[in-house]
Amino acid sequence: MYLRSNRVGIFDLSSNESSEQELGDEANWDRLSALYIADKLASEHGTDSLVLGTGVLTSSFVPAACAGIVRGSPGKNGDPRVMPLLGFAGVELKLSGFDFIVLKGASESPGYVWIRDGIVEFVESEEMKKKDSWARTDKIRADQGDNKIQVLSNGPWGDSVNPASQLVTDYWGGEDKSGLGADLGRKNLLAIAFRGMGELELSEPEGHLQDSMVLMAEHIQRLGKNEGLASYSKALEREDFKKLLHRNIACYGCPFPCRSFLKTSEPANEMKLVANEPGYLHYDIPALEKAFALGFDAMDATMALMKCARAGAEPVTVLSYAAELSAKVKMSSVAEVLSDLSKVSQGRAVGNFELSFDDRAQYRSCLGLGLCPRYWSKVGYDEAAVTPYGEAALGLSSHSK
Amino acid sequence: MSRDGRAGDGLRLKIEPLRCICCGLCETVCSLHRDSVITPMASSIILHVDDKANYFGLVLKTKSEGLLMARPEGVSSGQQASGSGGPGAKPILLREACDLCGGEVRCVKICPARCITVVD
Repeated sequence: MYLRSNRVGIFDLSSNESSEQELGDEANWDRLSALYIADKLASEHGTDSLVLGTGVLTSSFVPAACAGIVRGSPGKNGDPRVMPLLGFAGVELKLSGFDFIVLKGASESPGYVWIRDGIVEFVESEEMKKKDSWARTDKIRADQGDNKIQVLSNGPWGDSVNPASQLVTDYWGGEDKSGLGADLGRKNLLAIAFRGMGELELSEPEGHLQDSMVLMAEHIQRLGKNEGLASYSKALEREDFKKLLHRNIACYGCPFPCRSFLKTSEPANEMKLVANEPGYLHYDIPALEKAFALGFDAMDATMALMKCARAGAEPVTVLSYAAELSAKVKMSSVAEVLSDLSKVSQGRAVGNFELSFDDRAQYRSCLGLGLCPRYWSKVGYDEAAVTPYGEAALGLSSHSK
Repeated sequence: MSRDGRAGDGLRLKIEPLRCICCGLCETVCSLHRDSVITPMASSIILHVDDKANYFGLVLKTKSEGLLMARPEGVSSGQQASGSGGPGAKPILLREACDLCGGEVRCVKICPARCITVVD
């Protein structure tokens, strides 16, 4: 099977037992969507299961083929709650030896799931429960001895099953606008960690590479100058944002980076590795727009989003509640909301990457293939145009273009 | 192409680390050249990332200059490598040195930021 390991890892947190099943060779483009397969796995293993997965194109050479997904239990409207996995998380998950992971049941003791080399295991850690999301990522990487481990980290808000929680990927928030931290909290899961050291075959490696490079060159010509996250939101075209900007960083395979790192504790132009926690990586556009609308400058907006990420709290919700506490929102009101989880009983987020597309079906199609929705909405997503690249890489057709 | 990783006319790779956007394509395409599979484990070039500090750069194993370390603060060569990442990852010392892909250098072609170039 090309571009797949053909393995689904299933872990029952209640019994601490793992099992596997084959993904199955569904050589039908319509059924290759990660979202379709995740729905199918959830209906098979229980709708309260947490399903992690990757698209068929994830980690390929198609531009911005970085995405994976996490599917949680259904929301109030009955639809499953989904977050994209971006950065290098989708790729690391795909190379971990599994195409999909199903986490069933709930653990008696707190701890984290650790996935690598075709192994899924649960690591008990009572100690980790006292830590915030950043410290959990630090601890897992230190304990397992690898800085490239990707960590979907929960924080105190998720532990307490707050609907306004957010899972952070490594250290950064913005992907989970569905309160999936609460799903981990219900399972007594403090984090999910994975590392990809496997390999994937392609049907026509040379053809896929050459065609993908042609496509990327076309995109680069059309995209013009990159301004990081400000390329995607006019509200970020501010001098104070530029002043703190260190470097823009891409997700895997993306030629047009949208993640902007702002330095808060050392000069933005410091290129040496000096401070351990010098700032925050922004890609949560609605949260930044909300902070700026409330009168925060770039420094305070960055600090507010950082505090929310550490707590595992969704920042649009936190900032909205802070605005209700006082007419003039300050950092102290953000801290006040974060310190008392009982204040917030529901999430208010409106999405982030979901907002890239007006058409929800287009968003799901793009994400389901493993492509970044933000990038592809910018260059113009057309499933029919992408399909030949995937089909050739999968061996479903002999020519990609 | 000579055996030391330089082309017969003395070509070599130049890396400008501040142009790097950390997309990781150089690593993956290098492994594709080595083993015809997608993996970052077989590459001669390694993306080093300290994500909490947004500190990232490239390490290249060459035949003639040892390890070329393209850190954000500058490029140096011949020192001990970092960037393989963890006990399970394949250390750079066990990897093949860059052979410039036999002439058509793939990391140079795919790099969207023009961070890697071929120079004489």
